[in-house]
Amino acid sequence: MKTYVAHRLGIAVLTLFGMSVVIFVLMRLAPGDIVDILFAAAGYVNEADKKLIMQELGIDQPIWVQYVEWLKGIFSGDLGKSYRYDQPAWDVIRPLIPVTVELAILATVISVIIGVPTGVISAVRQDTTLDYVLRVFSLAGLSMPSFWLGMVIILGLVAWAGWIPPLTYVSPRENFPIHAVQFLLPALAVGYRSSALLMRITRSAVLEVMREDYVRTARAKGQRERLVIWRHAFKNAVLPVVTVIDIEFAFLIGGLVVTETVFNMPGVARFLVQAILWRDYPVVQNLVMFIAVVVILSNLVVDLLYGWLDPRVRYAE
Amino acid sequence: MTRSCALTVLGILLSIALAVTIVKPAVGQAPKSGGVLNVTQREDLAQGFSIHETATISTVWPSSPCFNNLVLFDPTKPVESMDTIVPELAEKWSWQDNNRNLVLFLRKGVKWHDGQPFTSKDVKYTFDVVREAKDAPAKLRINPRKDWYANVTNIEAPDPHTVIFHLKRPQPSLLMMLATGYSPVYPAHVPPAEFRTRCVGTGPFKLKEWRRGEYIEYVKNPDYWAKGRPYLDGLRYVIIPERGTRTAAIQAGRVDISFPGETSKAASEQIKAAVPKMVIRQVGSNVNDNLLLNTKKPPFDNVKVRRAFSLAIDRRSYVKAVHQGGAVVGASMQPKPYGFWGLLDKDLNQLPGYGKPTDDKAKAKQLLAEAGFTPANPLKVEVKTRAIAIYVDFSSFVINELKQVGVDATLTQIETAQWHPLATRRDYLVGTNLTGLGIDDPDGNFYENFACGSPRNYTDYCDEEVMKRFDQQSQELDTKKRMAMVWDIQKRLEMDGARPMMGWRLDYFTHWPYVKGLVPHHNIYNYGRLQDVWIDK
Repeated sequence: MKTYVAHRLGIAVLTLFGMSVVIFVLMRLAPGDIVDILFAAAGYVNEADKKLIMQELGIDQPIWVQYVEWLKGIFSGDLGKSYRYDQPAWDVIRPLIPVTVELAILATVISVIIGVPTGVISAVRQDTTLDYVLRVFSLAGLSMPSFWLGMVIILGLVAWAGWIPPLTYVSPRENFPIHAVQFLLPALAVGYRSSALLMRITRSAVLEVMREDYVRTARAKGQRERLVIWRHAFKNAVLPVVTVIDIEFAFLIGGLVVTETVFNMPGVARFLVQAILWRDYPVVQNLVMFIAVVVILSNLVVDLLYGWLDPRVRYAE
Repeated sequence: MTRSCALTVLGILLSIALAVTIVKPAVGQAPKSGGVLNVTQREDLAQGFSIHETATISTVWPSSPCFNNLVLFDPTKPVESMDTIVPELAEKWSWQDNNRNLVLFLRKGVKWHDGQPFTSKDVKYTFDVVREAKDAPAKLRINPRKDWYANVTNIEAPDPHTVIFHLKRPQPSLLMMLATGYSPVYPAHVPPAEFRTRCVGTGPFKLKEWRRGEYIEYVKNPDYWAKGRPYLDGLRYVIIPERGTRTAAIQAGRVDISFPGETSKAASEQIKAAVPKMVIRQVGSNVNDNLLLNTKKPPFDNVKVRRAFSLAIDRRSYVKAVHQGGAVVGASMQPKPYGFWGLLDKDLNQLPGYGKPTDDKAKAKQLLAEAGFTPANPLKVEVKTRAIAIYVDFSSFVINELKQVGVDATLTQIETAQWHPLATRRDYLVGTNLTGLGIDDPDGNFYENFACGSPRNYTDYCDEEVMKRFDQQSQELDTKKRMAMVWDIQKRLEMDGARPMMGWRLDYFTHWPYVKGLVPHHNIYNYGRLQDVWIDK
């Protein structure tokens, strides 16, 4: 197991390094820069002043020098300075992370609570009315983009109750009930879509193992149906389900752009889009690296879970 | 008088009395103090509170409560002109030496938010920095309004409460420039760069917190020089980038007032249907949609081709189709009743694109043919614009109109980061553009957008005779005479296809009825101080 973990960690570090190069180069290749955007306010670009500002921001240096400076900064705990906000990039990024992580966790929990049991029920009751109803429910979830559902929730609340969730972040310490409602609605909008995917994966995985010999054997031994399903069938069908949960969670960390925008949540994804439009390189680089770290870490966790759940996976040992 | 007649008269009088009572309940109502006003902010601050380094309402609107100007456009009057300028940090002013010196007498006892006294040194410092005087003690990173003060030769501060602006030639509009939201007075003891992260002003509200991407919060300035003001305890600008969420937020009462210039006619109708008691005020915005034709590149160096393009686009249909009636036609100055200098309808009707569409399109074809473009040899152009919906809608209409006169036009969308470098390089033949004007004054428009050599004169239109006329109207002290000159210039610019105007956007400024004392102006930039606003609930 130790070799397996070390191997996975090595791959994770290499992937992060590759990501850092790609992010850095891609941002520099995008046309226009922060100075052009700053001058947009003036309505024209003054070339002499532009050079001075580029010098001030350090973006007149060769790209490799800028890259090395950034890496050096990361290892010394200095993520650079946001061009737009004129303050440390970490101070800009720090408040965004808890919002997105909480939203992603809540949405994932909701998707698991809805998706896994309905998937199992749908498989067990294959081709019954309940199965068809649950499949339509999941199809609807997959067909509705979460931003659209979010907008419907907001407009519906305004039209029917004259109310929408708070538009600025309310911390749990400040007011827990309001905080809960503020997060619950967008988490529901996103979680519903994820739950639909999870339901379908769970259903097909359970259906597959239900036909296996060991399930038939368990039944033949006279075990109760509930034990057969959850202990024998579901436990063996859980690997693809865990994979989907992981992929969905990792996707949510960077993919909540529209939901965060519709619900006006000050999270990572919404801010990242603004930072890209502003060509605020230090903020973009560090935010994308944060997302990459989350994705790689969650993949690592799943890889380790695989090894734990199914000893055959520990091929490296 | 018969009895029935007397009863009728009495009835009419009672009806009038009742109507007056119903329509004007707020008249004479004493303002109440207290409460926090939730204000819509469409995007996060660009460059913090540094108004002098920006040209966007997204900075001016949320930064204005922090500052004061020397003079200001009367917050209670929607039309802005020389007659509606009121004192702010300057208690009074006087033109001297045949209108070559503007002497301003400053208010005494005013303090900056950090407790330092405000003096004439601050005024001299601010405007020396903005006009980039040789001995200016600081430099702005970006300076969009330097040209406004090109006629100022020297600023003198003979004593702590007097400032004198010395001019090369008379320029009455200098006072207009000092009255806009773009002209706050900065403290001499705070470097301009610091305004990108914090705000030290003399204004009615002090900055409490700017939480990036979320909100900007102000509290009442207890030491404000205007006794009894502001009425509000604070302001909270809630940053809502998504338009649909902004509309929902005001409908649900999460914010109390809309963002200037952002509510279209269609959106206002939707809000009114949902919340009938909502107050919606139709005002001008001093923002125009205009067509850019590169006068330095063929075939647009030929005035016939430019005029043909102008003739091809039916302005009245443009306003109906692109703005659903939420805009008005006008030449290069905002039209009446929203603006002061706009051409009258009878004059507009004589200009290309404002007459009978079939006749104008026929004339356009004829002029194109004279320039060598026929159905067998059509003119092919790429219309460049910013990749933003309002620009694309505008361009699509233009392309369709051009096709009707045989021009083979296609659309190229340019990302915002690329647009201004491209415009600065004049790297286009045809473009579509929006221009917001900080003041409704010819000097604030002509020199910036039509003068030879101006960086924002994107079409590079340059005519020495027109330049002379710009200067003549600028120093004319008689408003009537100046008006006639300005009208002639506008006609000339439209005939020359210098930058054909498509229409002037209207705003449907929306607020809840309990918000009192807020009068939106026919200009989005100049009513953000909010010191007279109060809440009645």
